[in-house]
Amino acid sequence: MTESNRSHLSDDQLLAGLANGSDAVLEELYKRYFPMVMNLILNNSGTEDDAKDIYQETLIVLYEKVSRDSLELHCQLKTYLYSVSRRLWLKQLSTRNRNGNSLWDTDERADVDDDLTDHEARDRQFDLMADSLDRLGEPCRTLLEDFYIHHLSMQDITEKFGYTNADNAKTQKYKCLMRLKRLFFSVFKEE
Amino acid sequence: MIDNQKFTDWIDRWLRNELTETERLEFEALRRSDPVLAQRALEQQQLVKAMKNYGQRTDFRSRLNRIHANLDMDCVREEVNQLSKVRKLHRNGGTIRQLWQTYRPILAVAASVALITTFGTLMLIRQYQSSHKQQEQYSMMRRDLQAIRRSQNAILQDLNARERALQINPGQVAGSGFLLSPDGYLVTNTHIIQDADSVYIQSTRGDIYKAKVVYADNKYDLAILQIHEDSSFRVKAALPYGFEAAPSDLGERVFTLGFPREEVVYGEGYLSSQTGYRGDSTAYQVAISVNPGNSGGPLLDEKGNVIGIISGKQTSSEGATFAIKTDYLFRAISAIPTDSLKNNSIRMSRKNGLAKLARKDQIKKIQENVYMVKVFKHEK
Repeated sequence: MTESNRSHLSDDQLLAGLANGSDAVLEELYKRYFPMVMNLILNNSGTEDDAKDIYQETLIVLYEKVSRDSLELHCQLKTYLYSVSRRLWLKQLSTRNRNGNSLWDTDERADVDDDLTDHEARDRQFDLMADSLDRLGEPCRTLLEDFYIHHLSMQDITEKFGYTNADNAKTQKYKCLMRLKRLFFSVFKEE
Repeated sequence: MIDNQKFTDWIDRWLRNELTETERLEFEALRRSDPVLAQRALEQQQLVKAMKNYGQRTDFRSRLNRIHANLDMDCVREEVNQLSKVRKLHRNGGTIRQLWQTYRPILAVAASVALITTFGTLMLIRQYQSSHKQQEQYSMMRRDLQAIRRSQNAILQDLNARERALQINPGQVAGSGFLLSPDGYLVTNTHIIQDADSVYIQSTRGDIYKAKVVYADNKYDLAILQIHEDSSFRVKAALPYGFEAAPSDLGERVFTLGFPREEVVYGEGYLSSQTGYRGDSTAYQVAISVNPGNSGGPLLDEKGNVIGIISGKQTSSEGATFAIKTDYLFRAISAIPTDSLKNNSIRMSRKNGLAKLARKDQIKKIQENVYMVKVFKHEK
């Protein structure tokens, strides 16, 4: 893909596509700024895998902000992504016990403090949920995921799991949900 | 009382917006009436939301991973290389900015240290200077002690500038002097004629005579001059003033004539102390205003008796002028080896013909006998 083809989508179009869940736009976005972030990471004692992790995390920050409709871009999308990646990488470096206070970079940066604070809170919630679901075990996990995440109807679930009727399925779902609730809130409330 | 499972089911359907209108109204009423149920609804809402977020992120991650897996990494690497090349070019212009960003904290510390050092040094220097100044003053005092007369701020008139304009031998000093006897002996201060090559005296009328130093007394700062084989000098019958060796009283009205400038200048005051600078018993302290050039002038009392020779003043206080007592003038004269006088003793009169005259008439008579002493020196 040449440079001119790649830039035909504006920042706003990219963000709109991202919110819609368009795979093409996401791919376009992914390709457009990955080299920039990779350059940053490689220049600051990171590997290609580090670059991938940091970039994907950055896109998650962007995606979750966009899907909440809470993204206020005060700068170019490029600058925003760069700033977020930079901060994430700094954090990563400091957890690896290296001097992460001064990166060799010159690009202008945006203030992304608030966004990253939100992101950290969501990160904790995500990890907690992943942990709770792991401990929940099968078939509860799949049942709840199908119902709450994939929005299957009780009828579909009854058929899928081979329950004799929808009421059985409902009872099963209820029990699973109660267990998940205990697992999740036992930690969540402590925080 | 609605059973838990049914209520949970309702919450699910409420969250999915699947409740019928009547069910929704009943559900809302339940929530309002029972805080425990309301709390349960809230918790379940949170839980479901957390699950949805989890699902959303997992889904998004797998999408990203799919894209990444299809990525042509060689192509990306190539682009990264280009970027870093561009950045390097870009950096050449931005090296300083980058260094600045990296070392800014260190620079800030260095700058503050520099500032503190600078101002600290300045303050220290100022303190040192002020203390040093005091020391200088002190050492000046000490020099005063070592050679008291010289310390009295010899009142010299530096004629340098003026005489240089006249293209005459530079390095001159001027003071005052006056006749001791009608045949041409004068008295002035030693500090005036010190290191002199030649000494000239100039009368108020402008007549200039060459004089030679007969005797210079460093102890009393008195020097005796003689008009040197100058036929034009008219020997007078007698001097109008006499010399009074007896100590004068405090409060005595006194006056002086001298040459702080080319013209003779009259000054008036009173005797303020029997001793001179730092208790010097050879001198009087006089409250009279004098200027450089007044040195060597006569100090006369009300009646026109010479009671002293102006020699200096104290710079640190106003109106403290010092005059050597006439008594010591006599002592100095008696110490002159007879050889230097060529057997002509100095005939000093104690007779005074001014006593009954008004001051201006006194001055008229005295001023003819007061001379400006000009001293020519080798420039050192």
